[in-house]
Amino acid sequence: MSLGEQTFGGSPVYRWLLRRMWGLEHAFERSRASGRAEDDTRIRILFVLALFILGFATLGVGATRAALFSDVLKGDGIEAAAGVPRADLVDRNGRLLAVDLPHFGLYIDPREIWDLNETRRDLSVALPQVAPERLERALRANRRTYLIGGLTPDQRDRIDDLGLPGVSFEPEEKRVYPLDDTAAHLIGFTDSGGEGLAGAELAFNEQVRNPGVGNAAFPLSIDVRIQAALEDELGKAADQFHPKGAVGLVTNVHTGEILALASWPTFNPNRAGEASPDARLDRAASSVFEMGSVFKAFTMAIGLDTGVATPQSTFDARQPFHLGYRTITDYEATHKILTMVEVFQHSSNIGTAKLGEAIGPARMSRYFDALGLTRPARVELLESARPLTPKVWNDDAIASISFGHGIDVSPLALARGYDALLNGGYLVPLTIRKVEPGTKVTGPRVVSNRTSLEVLQLMRANVTGGTGRSADIPGLNVGGKTGTGDKFEPSLRRYSHSKQVSSFAATFPTDGPTSAPRYFVFMLMDEPQRDKTGLDPTGGIVAAPAVGRVIERIAPFLGIEPRPAFTPFQTAQAAGPEVGGGQ
Amino acid sequence: MSLMGRRIRGFRLVDLLAFAVLAVLILGVYLAKTIAGKERAEIATAQRQINAEKARIRMLNAEVAHLEEPARIQRLSEAYLGMGPVPPSRQITPDQLAEAALHPLPVPKLPQPGAPR
Repeated sequence: MSLGEQTFGGSPVYRWLLRRMWGLEHAFERSRASGRAEDDTRIRILFVLALFILGFATLGVGATRAALFSDVLKGDGIEAAAGVPRADLVDRNGRLLAVDLPHFGLYIDPREIWDLNETRRDLSVALPQVAPERLERALRANRRTYLIGGLTPDQRDRIDDLGLPGVSFEPEEKRVYPLDDTAAHLIGFTDSGGEGLAGAELAFNEQVRNPGVGNAAFPLSIDVRIQAALEDELGKAADQFHPKGAVGLVTNVHTGEILALASWPTFNPNRAGEASPDARLDRAASSVFEMGSVFKAFTMAIGLDTGVATPQSTFDARQPFHLGYRTITDYEATHKILTMVEVFQHSSNIGTAKLGEAIGPARMSRYFDALGLTRPARVELLESARPLTPKVWNDDAIASISFGHGIDVSPLALARGYDALLNGGYLVPLTIRKVEPGTKVTGPRVVSNRTSLEVLQLMRANVTGGTGRSADIPGLNVGGKTGTGDKFEPSLRRYSHSKQVSSFAATFPTDGPTSAPRYFVFMLMDEPQRDKTGLDPTGGIVAAPAVGRVIERIAPFLGIEPRPAFTPFQTAQAAGPEVGGGQ
Repeated sequence: MSLMGRRIRGFRLVDLLAFAVLAVLILGVYLAKTIAGKERAEIATAQRQINAEKARIRMLNAEVAHLEEPARIQRLSEAYLGMGPVPPSRQITPDQLAEAALHPLPVPKLPQPGAPR
């Protein structure tokens, strides 16, 4: 079988082509046989002409098609080539947080330099950030060498205007953070190759680099205005109390969106390499703290949800309480029989430990698991730290954990647990991505709606008449819980009385149903010092006033209007049965 | 003799026609390539200008974001305008305007403009 038959088989096209070929050959033969050789030549010329015409016609059609329907007109090719490698990061209102901007790398080719001394002198003045040794190495090299990158167009133009032979530039993209240190820990930063190294830049590295994203902005959950207010107040409080570190957080309890996240000290992501590891540390996600009494809200919620206690239940706080290996006392002893509301208002360790004992280790452990306090906070940030939890949940553990000792969690994990207590009882994941309005975010139910309402009232009562009074902002019905946890000194193998973690966990507004718009605000200071007033740097002193000022400033941005005062548990109520009588 | 077999100055008409078609096609291809090349160059120039403008817009947007940094605005407004956050006690809805006019709140003490604090 011939190659033609193998290719075309016995198709009509192949048979037609074969007939035409044979016809042509026969025409040549007939011409020669009839003695008309000129006809033979003419036919051959005609045949070659026909082939030329066919070829040029094909080329013409192809060229016209290329000219009229080229991809150039669509703009995709050139656009993609000049496109940015990472999408812009913006806040929830579209404010720019991170952007790739054209920069330039400077190259030196010593073979083209006319006057070495002039080049050395001019570049030293124009680029003071380049070490003299590095410049000298580039000037003495025997090939074209990269000297420095990240030059702005202005810097490039200034150096270009020097007219130095042998100095050239090549364009390069550089990640720029126009808000400098604002939200630095949440936004994170990239390396010079455009790979995310921390924060949202690391968490969403693939999505931001995905070609499908193109130039479309990538919206994060934060609101720059809220972030700025939080950072400002956190910075002022840090200046006043000189802590080792500090954290601020604002979340939407219904969607789990992190509206602001601040860690102090902070850094400028445009110069992340120059910042110390301590400044780059995201204390909200990567650090765990033994936070103390802010955990009492969890113990109260568990007591209410399990039916072990009601707000009117009483607890005998007249004497220290022995539970497990510990003898539990109160920071400000009341020596009274307290209702649950008063236990919360006075932050009574004795009353809370008695409630914890009544709940029991098994139920406490189950609820802490359900509230996400025994796992890293569920959030996109890869820095989310694993908590330190007791190995065995027994009376010894309950004696500490009921009021926030013996368990170290990250501020994000605490915020997630609190969100569940305040949103009607659903444990929603935290997120640093914007949740579109109207999106229903769900999670497993961990406490009942009624428990959630009672926790809101307890937190409000603590601000109207408890340790959180300094956070009260008239018209916004702020609720909250202070926390002051002594830090464990590994060298002394005991808790220090001079080193504390002081915090305040707040929510606003506390009035209305659980489905009403509501926000969680948290501030923590690690080892705060006494200020000039000389007062103990407790959560009520260092964090509660600052949280109040944050709430006052951010309420208009969140659309929370001033409202009538909400004062729960104001009227004298009949005391309920006593809980946890054992000593 | 058929029309195609006629000769003009010794050349057969069909050959002349074939040459003419060939010449037109060669010219056509040349023109198509030349015009397309010119248009390509124009498109590339326009695209470069668009890219340069886009880059410039991105630079300006970044510059605006930097200038509008909330901490900077707060610093400037406090220093030069004597402005500060508005507490809830000084916020009212439009229907409360008449009541507020009857019972105005005392003017809060704010730093004088131009006196940085």
